[in-house]
Amino acid sequence: MANRKSSTIALSDRLSPFQKIYLWLIAGFILGPFIPLIIQSFAFRWAWPDLLPGTWWLEQREKSILPLAWDYVISPYSQVWEATLNTVFIGSVVTAICLVICLPAARVLARENFRGKPAFEFFLSMPLIVPEAAIGIALLMIFIQIGLAGSYFGIIIVHLIPTIPYMIRMLTAVYQGLGKDFEEQAMILGASRWQVMRMVTLPMLLPGVVAGALFTFLVSTNIFLLTFFMGQGKIVTLPTLLFSKIAGGTLDASAAGITLVVTIPGIILLLITERFIKEEAFGKGFGN
Amino acid sequence: MKTTELARHKRERLLMWFQLLPVMTVLTVLFGGALLLGIMQSLGFAPWFGVNTFPDSTYFRALWGSSSFWQSLWLTLYYAIAATVISLVLGILLAMAMVRTFPSKTLYKYLYKLPLMIPYTVGIALAVIMLGNGGMLSRLMAFGGFIDDPAQFPQILKTHMGWGIIAVYVWKQTPFVALTIYAVLLGVGRETEEAAAILGASKRQIFFQVTFPQIMPGIVSSTLIIFAFNIGAFEAPFILGGGFPDTLPVVAWRFFNDADYTLQLQGMATVVSIALIAGVILYTYLAIYRRYERRIGRH
Repeated sequence: MANRKSSTIALSDRLSPFQKIYLWLIAGFILGPFIPLIIQSFAFRWAWPDLLPGTWWLEQREKSILPLAWDYVISPYSQVWEATLNTVFIGSVVTAICLVICLPAARVLARENFRGKPAFEFFLSMPLIVPEAAIGIALLMIFIQIGLAGSYFGIIIVHLIPTIPYMIRMLTAVYQGLGKDFEEQAMILGASRWQVMRMVTLPMLLPGVVAGALFTFLVSTNIFLLTFFMGQGKIVTLPTLLFSKIAGGTLDASAAGITLVVTIPGIILLLITERFIKEEAFGKGFGN
Repeated sequence: MKTTELARHKRERLLMWFQLLPVMTVLTVLFGGALLLGIMQSLGFAPWFGVNTFPDSTYFRALWGSSSFWQSLWLTLYYAIAATVISLVLGILLAMAMVRTFPSKTLYKYLYKLPLMIPYTVGIALAVIMLGNGGMLSRLMAFGGFIDDPAQFPQILKTHMGWGIIAVYVWKQTPFVALTIYAVLLGVGRETEEAAAILGASKRQIFFQVTFPQIMPGIVSSTLIIFAFNIGAFEAPFILGGGFPDTLPVVAWRFFNDADYTLQLQGMATVVSIALIAGVILYTYLAIYRRYERRIGRH
């Protein structure tokens, strides 16, 4: 009887007290550090060991209209605007190219069986498990030789490497969910190939494709190393800009402001994509 | 009849490979090109610097012969393994809590994914503001009366213990592990766990004998990805590391930025070593995992 009772507890659908505390701790670990960051960006003077700034910007409003850090962040000197435009431009082009080359491949991977398919799938996952530094430096040498280093084109090409595996996984999941039945029914009812494509396949694929595209865009905007190596300091994106501000290992108010700006695209994309992103796309293993 | 069937089949196969071709070409050219040229350069092929002694193992011998290389390798592996193990444990616990029902679960599912969505450099900035000598933890300790000077705060960043680096990796990767394992848990459902419970298994037994084997694929794929990333990561060890000896990617980068051009070949030997070491470790890991799968009779 006692045994029975303990097993019902084991399978309870509610959180145990430990889990409750754990979820709070993780939330604090993830979000907590943002609090001093936000405070820092609005501080006028924040000396050690004060827990809150000694002088807030608000008290010094006659000296500057905006908080000092934010005044710098939105000024052209900080390059934030330039970096944002570069990040969005590179991310969009990478997403478009990635979509075009991955869509047909995902269709085949979801529907066909062929010899060497597991090996091929493993090959497509390779970028996830080859150290970025190795591939980045090796490609940099080649790109310097052929004059692609420090160009948008060069950066866009290398961004394809880490984005392809995610795009393929997400699109394959979309095609697998779609099935062939609807297309076949439309064909039986006399639709032409073009009509099937336009009126059946595309509308059904669209939500998944949008999710894949958004996620690819996100991966691209977060890439630091490859952009840093290939950009050669000529092309700044948000991650490389932030890197140059904190490379010394200290964080002043303006760096805090830039950190917050760099976080914004991620938050926006999180709000949009949470509903679309199929968790299943991540559950796919390597070893099988 | 049969020949037309065969021709159709052939045409379909051709069409299939044609669809796979673009993505294959891009990866083969970029990967294969980088790999081939990297290996050739590390073996002394760099005519553009006026160096062409291919094949020549001096660069590898010089690299592997120096004790600083082994120190760097040890540091690289230590940061990578420590962060992977901690993220894995925290991630499994998080995923197992996430499958339960609780109020504000929808909100939590947004919240825990935030680190996934933002660059590592943000994590580094957060580590600086929290863990630096003048950072938030040091202020809190002063508030509690434990220290009265920033210099008394125990050095967390810029040491070879690498707590700062590991903290950034864990912050960024725990959600990734949790997401992967959560997905697997959603996929398998709870029926087998229930069955085990009805048959009288204890909580411990259910976890180690039912749940754990089920989430094994998720564990392997997520740890493979984060471990490989950690070995090749550059920005966190560069900013938060303890200086010489650096981790291998930072060492390679320093070789490349050296005024002495010929050191670039040494740098390339470092890069090839990183790829080689990562390859051997990941291959062994996958091989052990496959044996495990066969042993429990799944494949």
